[in-house]
Amino acid sequence: MFDLPDINLPIAVFLIVYGAYMVFYVLYSLFNIYHLIRYGVYGLGLYLIVSIFVGGTIILVAGSVFPLLEYEWTLPLSLDRVGDFYNEDLFPAL
Amino acid sequence: MMRLDHLPNQRPDEHMILFLRRHWFALLSIVTAFILLIGIPLALVMYFKEIVVDWLINPVIGPLFLILASMYVLSIWLFAFLEFTDYYLDTWIITNERIISIEQEGLFNRTASELDLAAVQDTTAEIRGILQTVFTYGQVYVQTAGEKGRFHFKNIDNPERVKELVTRLVEEDKRRLSALGAGGRGKIKSVIK
Repeated sequence: MFDLPDINLPIAVFLIVYGAYMVFYVLYSLFNIYHLIRYGVYGLGLYLIVSIFVGGTIILVAGSVFPLLEYEWTLPLSLDRVGDFYNEDLFPAL
Repeated sequence: MMRLDHLPNQRPDEHMILFLRRHWFALLSIVTAFILLIGIPLALVMYFKEIVVDWLINPVIGPLFLILASMYVLSIWLFAFLEFTDYYLDTWIITNERIISIEQEGLFNRTASELDLAAVQDTTAEIRGILQTVFTYGQVYVQTAGEKGRFHFKNIDNPERVKELVTRLVEEDKRRLSALGAGGRGKIKSVIK
């Protein structure tokens, strides 16, 4: 067998992926909202739709971010110990 | 933003008769897909609650799981909104002089077209299948002379009524134009004299 190189990364690297996704999400949402406002029919309904979407997004992001703040993000993620996380404890009921 | 009291290229005596969107059943399918895509994973989380709690307290698996779950839920929310936008921006406007069709295809393609009622040759209403029959929605095709394609009102409410309305408006517009034409010729003649 071979040994994996001993590289230690903080688990904060997950946040980079999450941040990249959020940038994509925000850009796509803004583009969609622009479309709605630019081409939608003028009226209260249009503002209601945009408000519901923005409100829903804020709730969903807040519901994820607050639990995420509880974790210790400086914890190192060692590449040669990555297999330790995949053990019988991960799926105890299966 | 489009205002219904000020249509694009509105003519002097033109006014809106009917504003159409797809039937609410199209909206229901978006809502159903959203509920299923959120509800099924949520039900799985509830069923395997103990395992999920073990994952969440794990210092590495926990944040990874939460981030992936958050990305999944946000994607579904965004997808539902995109589908709703597609539904919301697909509109057909019937005025006393024109039919205006505005269709959004995805986020990057948009087609806006219009035709004069006087150019309409044939109107067809189509209701197919159990769902369309029960909920009274379907297609209306408006065929014009010399047009390659035809106007297609997709999955609109009560297509028979819309077809009758278009047919009546076409007749009225043709009568109006022929009266205008006769009047116009009369005026020209009087000018020549």
